[in-house]
Amino acid sequence: MSTAIEVRDLCYRYPDGKEALRGINFTVATGECIGLIGPNGAGKSTILLHLNGILPEQPTRTPAVFICGQPVTEQNLPAIRRDVGLLFQDADDQLFCPTVMEDVAFGPRQFDGVGAPVDGRVNAALQQVGLIGFEKRSPYHLSVGEKRRVCLAGILACAPRMLVLDEPTSGLDPRGKAELKTLLQKLPATKIIATHDLELVVELCPRALLVDHGEIIADAATLELLNDEALMLAHGLERPHILRHRHPH
Amino acid sequence: MHIPDGFLDAKTAAATGVLAAGGVGVALRHVRRQLPRRKVPLLGLAAAFVFAVQMLNFPVAGGTSGHLIGGVLTAVLLGPSAAVVVLAAVLIVQCLLFADGGVTALGANIFNMGLVGGVAGYAIYRLVSGWSKSLRQKVVAAVFAAWCSTVLASIVCAGELALSGTVSWSVAFSAMASVHMLIGIGEGLITALVVVAIARARPDLLESLAEADARPGYAPVLVFGLLISLGLALFVAPFACSWPDGLEKVAATLGFEHRAAATPIVASPIPDYALPGIQSAALATALAGVIGTVVVFGVAFVLARVLVPKELH
Amino acid sequence: MIRHDFFDRHSRLDSWIHRLNAGWKLSIALAIVLATVLMPGRFALCFVGIATLLVVVAVASKIPAGFLVKRLLLLEPLVLGVAVLALLQPNGGCVFLVIVTKSTLCLLTMVLLSNTTPFSELLGVLQRVRFPAMLITTLALMYRYLFVLVDEAGRMQRARASRTFTKRRFAVWKSLGTVIGQLFVRSTERAERIYAAMCSRGWK
Repeated sequence: MSTAIEVRDLCYRYPDGKEALRGINFTVATGECIGLIGPNGAGKSTILLHLNGILPEQPTRTPAVFICGQPVTEQNLPAIRRDVGLLFQDADDQLFCPTVMEDVAFGPRQFDGVGAPVDGRVNAALQQVGLIGFEKRSPYHLSVGEKRRVCLAGILACAPRMLVLDEPTSGLDPRGKAELKTLLQKLPATKIIATHDLELVVELCPRALLVDHGEIIADAATLELLNDEALMLAHGLERPHILRHRHPH
Repeated sequence: MHIPDGFLDAKTAAATGVLAAGGVGVALRHVRRQLPRRKVPLLGLAAAFVFAVQMLNFPVAGGTSGHLIGGVLTAVLLGPSAAVVVLAAVLIVQCLLFADGGVTALGANIFNMGLVGGVAGYAIYRLVSGWSKSLRQKVVAAVFAAWCSTVLASIVCAGELALSGTVSWSVAFSAMASVHMLIGIGEGLITALVVVAIARARPDLLESLAEADARPGYAPVLVFGLLISLGLALFVAPFACSWPDGLEKVAATLGFEHRAAATPIVASPIPDYALPGIQSAALATALAGVIGTVVVFGVAFVLARVLVPKELH
Repeated sequence: MIRHDFFDRHSRLDSWIHRLNAGWKLSIALAIVLATVLMPGRFALCFVGIATLLVVVAVASKIPAGFLVKRLLLLEPLVLGVAVLALLQPNGGCVFLVIVTKSTLCLLTMVLLSNTTPFSELLGVLQRVRFPAMLITTLALMYRYLFVLVDEAGRMQRARASRTFTKRRFAVWKSLGTVIGQLFVRSTERAERIYAAMCSRGWK
């Protein structure tokens, strides 16, 4: 199995000097789906933003992140951003075009040129997320779930090799969560999901990383990690209900 | 102050259109060169911000309400060139989607509110505050600049209406300038309050955003100055120049008979003689404006002391 | 306190007017406005002709008449307020009538345009005629985030109001200033996030 993502000794400081990440190390194999869990302020989003080169703001001399063997450097950024589809936490920040159609077409247009025929890709992406017919809708009038699915379509239209998702189920009602879960399960790409939704992690991610204070505290099989009550409590998390009522038989 | 369609004649609309296009063109070029790429989305968001803020009514005396124009505020926060782009975008959207401001008057509206309200206002702000880091000084400058630019923009607007033959100069000037002297107070007050609020929450924003435009290269300053001066020459000067004549007439009536009545330097399109009281109203407004300028400066000074406690200074 | 109306509420109806190409609609609207403004006041019949044309378009577009009337009523006071000044001159009554007629016709034209053409299509037209790219990006983002900001401002205003126990006018102004200030700060932060999102999808 080849390595999709390799992070070697990643460190990062905020512009005001505060240390955000100290020595992050992990690898993700192609096709894997791993969960990134931890309390607020642990650095989960910061890690994700390094995976497609948004951070660091000034490129460093020694790249710490490697995507499919390629280091994330300034020259490689266009290719990296094509391969890594990043879903942001706030759908309103990512859905910045006046209509759904234009937004989903934004990525393909940037990568393939403004005049390129993108309609096919857009339609396919909207089909995947179940939003055919929404092309002319204005983002302002969509529900949180619909917005999130449009953002996902916008990423899928670029045909990325991996998906990096920051809190994909936040703000969704139970039906929205179930729909998104089903959708994600069907996507074969490598996935990293940073989330507070531990039930999502249990259902989708065989492996999980626990992050706190900018460090990786634990990297293990999900069930093993989440069942370790002491560890969970020590890092501001709780064992999810779905595991509490599971019986071995 | 949005002029609707039908109020400006062809020559005025064309003249203001050319001036506005020139101003926006220069501003865009400057912004493309100076604005870091990561700030480009901020132009759009700032335009939405200005629009949203213009929708807020604030209570003025006696049950009426006023609207913020936001020219000086935008210029202080983003720099004059970015402010021109932002204000132009706001006016275009208001025109196309709201029918607030006419299409043929778009040039005039952009010139009045963007170039005069924004850039000239910013120039006044810089003049008063220097490049001082003191928040109090910035607030004084902002209040004064906001008031001045509001009144100045209304005067140019009056000039445009008069040149078009829609409204006589004296009527337009008296009405618009006097109303905007009041509205300008609200504009100044809100500008001050917002600047202080931002200074409290994110002082780095006040420094960094305007920095790029703080010391613009020669070209934008020159071109903006030229365009604004042209506008003033076209729309205000012809009318203001007839005042010495008015003053002469008043002096003659009061008994200084040795002064002969002189003819106006440039004849006003609509003679005021049919309405005897109006011209003196216009003169009174002008006088009020001069006094108002001094008063507002004093008010700005006091306001800055009130709003900026010792710690923030 | 905040006037919140979807100004192009009917821009996605289905009528043959709506289906017309956006470029044509914009050009025709501009032509009508220009013709109306340049028309000398004495050609009253021409104004009647233009008015008839606009009414025909309005009917064909299936936009509710009540909506159009309401929009016009909302905008008329702004016209009348300035037009009244025109009365104070020789021959003022005539000038007043002509101005009000011209303005109203142009208002109707623009209201019809904005309600038969989605804004993104208008932007598309501007892009094709080589409007400056930065201005188009600004217009597009502004349109997209307009009501997001208006809603945010409304929420903050309500939150403030529920924590303000005085009716003193200065307190109202001060709270307004703080809300506006916060709105700006949030807008800059959101702009940064939008930049990151645009770059993530290949924007250079």
